Amino acid sequence: MATLKFSKTHEWAKIDANIAVIGISDHAQKALGDIVFIELPKIGAKLKANAQFGTIESTKAASELYSPLSGEVTEINKELLNNPQWVNESPFERGWMIKIKVENSNEPSSLMDEAVYKEFAAKEAH
Amino acid sequence: MELLKTPLYEKHVDNNAHIVDFSGWALPVEYSSILKEAKAVRSTCGLFDASHMGEIYVKGKDALTFLQSLTPNDISITKKGQLQYNLFLNDKGGIVDDLMIYNLGENNFLCVVNASNTDKVYNWLKTKKQESKYANLEIINESGSTSLLSLQGPRAVFVMEKIFGAGIKNLKYMRFTELSFKNKQIIISRSGYTGEDGFEIYCNNAFAPLVWDLILKYGKEEGLVLSGLGARDVLRIEAGYPLYGHEINDETNPLEASLGWVTKIKKDFIGKEKINNKRIMRKRVGFVMEERAIARQGYPILASGKIIGEVTSGTYSPNLNQFIGMAYIESAFSAVGHFVDIKIRDKFYKAKITNFNFIGKK
Repeated sequence: MATLKFSKTHEWAKIDANIAVIGISDHAQKALGDIVFIELPKIGAKLKANAQFGTIESTKAASELYSPLSGEVTEINKELLNNPQWVNESPFERGWMIKIKVENSNEPSSLMDEAVYKEFAAKEAH
Repeated sequence: MELLKTPLYEKHVDNNAHIVDFSGWALPVEYSSILKEAKAVRSTCGLFDASHMGEIYVKGKDALTFLQSLTPNDISITKKGQLQYNLFLNDKGGIVDDLMIYNLGENNFLCVVNASNTDKVYNWLKTKKQESKYANLEIINESGSTSLLSLQGPRAVFVMEKIFGAGIKNLKYMRFTELSFKNKQIIISRSGYTGEDGFEIYCNNAFAPLVWDLILKYGKEEGLVLSGLGARDVLRIEAGYPLYGHEINDETNPLEASLGWVTKIKKDFIGKEKINNKRIMRKRVGFVMEERAIARQGYPILASGKIIGEVTSGTYSPNLNQFIGMAYIESAFSAVGHFVDIKIRDKFYKAKITNFNFIGKK
């Protein structure tokens, strides 16, 4: 069973064994508006938790993407680069961004569960 | 400071608008999607709240002479019922604001100015009046009591016919009519900031929600989409229209902004000598990105590793499916078809210089 976790910067990580899939939350895509550009790291890049791993741009503004976890990039969603609107249409499925090999198995516990995140996001919207 | 609200603010909230601070005004940046809204305006029609714009009346026997002295375009060629794009210039020939001047007849002119510049322009006009010898001159700021609704797109005319009668379709581009509608005085012009056919409606604040509701009601059948400032910006970039604070400001020479067509040689006006004596070193151009990337205001433009210009506006155009923008570029590199590099966050992206009227309309 994969577990879904969220960061304070509105990225999600779906963690299954030592592999985490990473994207941005529904709340984040709604706040950003129409996504038109995404820049992702190269396979093999070593990411640090809370450090920038890419850039996402909507018609409104450019925003930084932060990795919720530390680890090495094993796969990127190449198709997403040409179909950035998938982040709006399907933030948790087709809109996934990268897969990483999780470095530290204790790190996910520092992230929020879905229910906690939803409350966090709702508060931030006000 | 609390944000200013237009009389349509509640309507925006009811329609789930994403409200932002736009030069001190609480206005919708989008209702659902900037891209959808910008597409709708080119295929059906979109309704914008532009009530933040400034409306300043200049009237009296000296009004025409006074305005002529401050602007490069020739207002004397307009007749009652015509509007004209023009500029207010400072002593150095820089642009105080760009505006539309409505010739209301009987020595009365309505100047529609940018929201961000309304107070600046109003105070500047009063100062200029004091400096001048013109006695018969009144300057009245009606921005606080006037609302502006803008209905834009190929289906706009059909919506207008249903509300204001079939005669409205005979109104020509850059013409306006003053009429009494439900016993209220309103102004309707055939104009806009999108490059599409469209209408702009000026009315008293108290009347604006009713006009809004009527347009919405009759617009439904024509595919009307409520449109925010985000779409307005995309559409004006697609049409190559300058925006104050981006393509033009107090330092801009109208000639380098490719606004030479507004600058009439035959008339005398403030800053004229300065404009004509200054060597034109840079030009406003359009550009199309060769790759996916939005080049935003302030990003440097290079050729062979040397900085030759700067982006003033950039966006993704949903109607062209291209990343486009406007920029100032050194004249030597400004020819259409030239390739340049734009620096976006430490990377360089290729772009091609183009004409800035991207959609190829009026």
